Amino acid sequence: MNPYAGQSFFGFFATLFKRAFSFLTGESLSLATDEVQLLVLIMISLSSALVGTFLVLKKRTMLANSLSHTVLLGIVGAFLITRGKGLYSASLSTLLIGALITALCTTFSTEFLHKKLRLQEDTSIGLIFTAFFALGVVLVTTLSRNSHLGIEAIMGNVDALHPSDLKQVFYLFLFNALLIFAFYRRLQLLAFDSQFARNMGISLVFFNYLLLFQTALTAIGSFRAIGAFLFLTFLVAPTLTARFFTHRLKKLIFLSGGIGILGALISVALSRHFLSVYQIPLATSGIAATVLGIFFVFGMTKKRFA
Amino acid sequence: MQFLDFFLDPLYRAPVVGSMLMCLSSSLVGTLMVVKRRSLLGEALSHAAYPGVVLSVILGAALFSPSHPLAILVVLGGAFLFSYLGLLFIEKLKKSFRVHLDAALCLVLSLFLGVGVVFASRIQFTHPLWHQQSQVFIYGQAATMNDSHILIYGLFSILVSLFILFKFRQIEVALFDPSYAGCRGLKMDRITQGISLLLILSIVVGIRSVGVILMSGMLLAPAAAARAYTDRLSRLLMLSALFGMLSGFGGNFLALKLSASGINYPTGPMILLVAVSISLFSLLFAPKKGAVFRFIRSARFKRRCQLENILKTFWKGGVEKPLSHKGILKWNPMGRLSMTRALFTLKREGWITSSGKGKLLLTPDGIRRAEHLVRLHRLWELYLVSCLKVDQERVHHSAEEMEHILTPDLEERLTSLLNHPKEDPHQKPIPQGERS
Repeated sequence: MNPYAGQSFFGFFATLFKRAFSFLTGESLSLATDEVQLLVLIMISLSSALVGTFLVLKKRTMLANSLSHTVLLGIVGAFLITRGKGLYSASLSTLLIGALITALCTTFSTEFLHKKLRLQEDTSIGLIFTAFFALGVVLVTTLSRNSHLGIEAIMGNVDALHPSDLKQVFYLFLFNALLIFAFYRRLQLLAFDSQFARNMGISLVFFNYLLLFQTALTAIGSFRAIGAFLFLTFLVAPTLTARFFTHRLKKLIFLSGGIGILGALISVALSRHFLSVYQIPLATSGIAATVLGIFFVFGMTKKRFA
Repeated sequence: MQFLDFFLDPLYRAPVVGSMLMCLSSSLVGTLMVVKRRSLLGEALSHAAYPGVVLSVILGAALFSPSHPLAILVVLGGAFLFSYLGLLFIEKLKKSFRVHLDAALCLVLSLFLGVGVVFASRIQFTHPLWHQQSQVFIYGQAATMNDSHILIYGLFSILVSLFILFKFRQIEVALFDPSYAGCRGLKMDRITQGISLLLILSIVVGIRSVGVILMSGMLLAPAAAARAYTDRLSRLLMLSALFGMLSGFGGNFLALKLSASGINYPTGPMILLVAVSISLFSLLFAPKKGAVFRFIRSARFKRRCQLENILKTFWKGGVEKPLSHKGILKWNPMGRLSMTRALFTLKREGWITSSGKGKLLLTPDGIRRAEHLVRLHRLWELYLVSCLKVDQERVHHSAEEMEHILTPDLEERLTSLLNHPKEDPHQKPIPQGERS
């Protein structure tokens, strides 16, 4: 029995605190569905905040958009290679192989179009990701013999999450956090002054690709929960909001992580609220995106009156 | 099924003709965006239309019956409104908050999509029929269109095309030379705004058959293909209109053929895949600007340089002195295979002959040819030193390249400019005589 059933917005938080307390004292150790959703969303928003801050500073977010489209092809590729059970299964191999396929396909074919076929850069980006997405849709339709797959790719399905998803996004977060902690200085250089780095003879090519790989990894990791596109909101919105308040990199990362967590909390609670009070099941991922958008608009007004 | 059936049969007519008209307007406007270097704006604005589509499908279904012409207009209006809101939001972010365009686009597209998802999930279980109708706009579905769709979408598409046709001069000037346009008294803001509105209109018209997710590709692919053939705006527009309509037809054809297997394929991906194939093919194989032809041209030039360098090696060693393969390789580092090929060509052209013992010798023709190369080389060196005042130690490398490029016409001009010189800057004689 889900302890959150029938709870309103505030009731949700009350129950959450109660259960968190009993969890700490060791009384109940199982996770309810809502808690799995909440934790998955929190992990995703932390991962996205880590990666997104650098992407926004580096002005490469449309490349993240491009990766988020290609993710579908990566997932199909991983499915074909690993012969997994379902198309959207939550295994580490799917995560890694899929991300690798996604990142490699996108970057190399975009470069090929731009450098070898001499198409201008933004057009090559736009052409490649739509083409790969179209290919992904056709492949998924053929493989699943179902033409109504579509919507899950866009909004994800928070209700289908499983504790194994939690493990996956936790590893994802750990991976991202470790990499960024280890290479913080280099990434900082990449984000702010790659010209200086070049003059100093420091090659940042590897870190450029690393950042892309991390983005692809995060996109695939969050695919099941929030879909390919709403992941972009988690990537961009918290960082842009945080930029209204601070310009220091460390603060920016922590603040955008915090905003992401707050968004996750409020959106899961709101979704529960709508379900129990109005009997309307709304997509949690959509609510999360909307809540993050509202945060951003608040940030805008703060900037206006500051 | 006959080819004409696609345009006449009442069942196929609407999807095929409708998609072709939709693709026409998007490829025309897309070309303008590509030339304007705003390729990714369409991506953000097409995603931004999604909440508008969902809301107006609800509104249209509540007010009229779903296939009523007015319901179609309501959907168009709703999509237009939200797409325009997206545009305003992007402009605002850029101007007042100094958010970089890249991040602003990304934010707007994902935020609007998120809001749309909330609306869609609201009706998912209460009104499954409406939900299904709004989902059509995600990946596009031409098959369910009827004649009134053709009429309305076709009308807007033709309006867009006519606007571009009549305002062509202004648009051209505004795209390529904004400051000149400003001097001529054209209101730049209004033209830019007009192009943005055209973009939104073509997106709104196109999403029924291509879908919000892939719409931006449909804007870009025909333009990218056309770019491989020409640089003139008028020809670009015509070609990309042609390619756009071709992909509209091809996509529907593919979707129809594949759907015979029992799965209903959405049209959007099909149309886009056809369009992208056309542009890839064009970028690779277009005459003059295609990658393959560029590659062949540069490979040919490289080979010519190689041949000419070998001839020069012979000449420098002394006209009477035969050279072995090893002797040639010493001055012209290359693989054994390309060496054999080069020597074969030289023999066929009658520039070298074998002089026994595996050695090779220049023919009189070959001597003339080699002398001519040396002449060009030394002429260029002299020109650099005497006219451009380049230090004489540094002219050799430039001449090494120019000797393959100089045309007879340029040679003549150089000769008369330098007063028919006899010696180059290094006091070596310049061979006389024109090219045979």
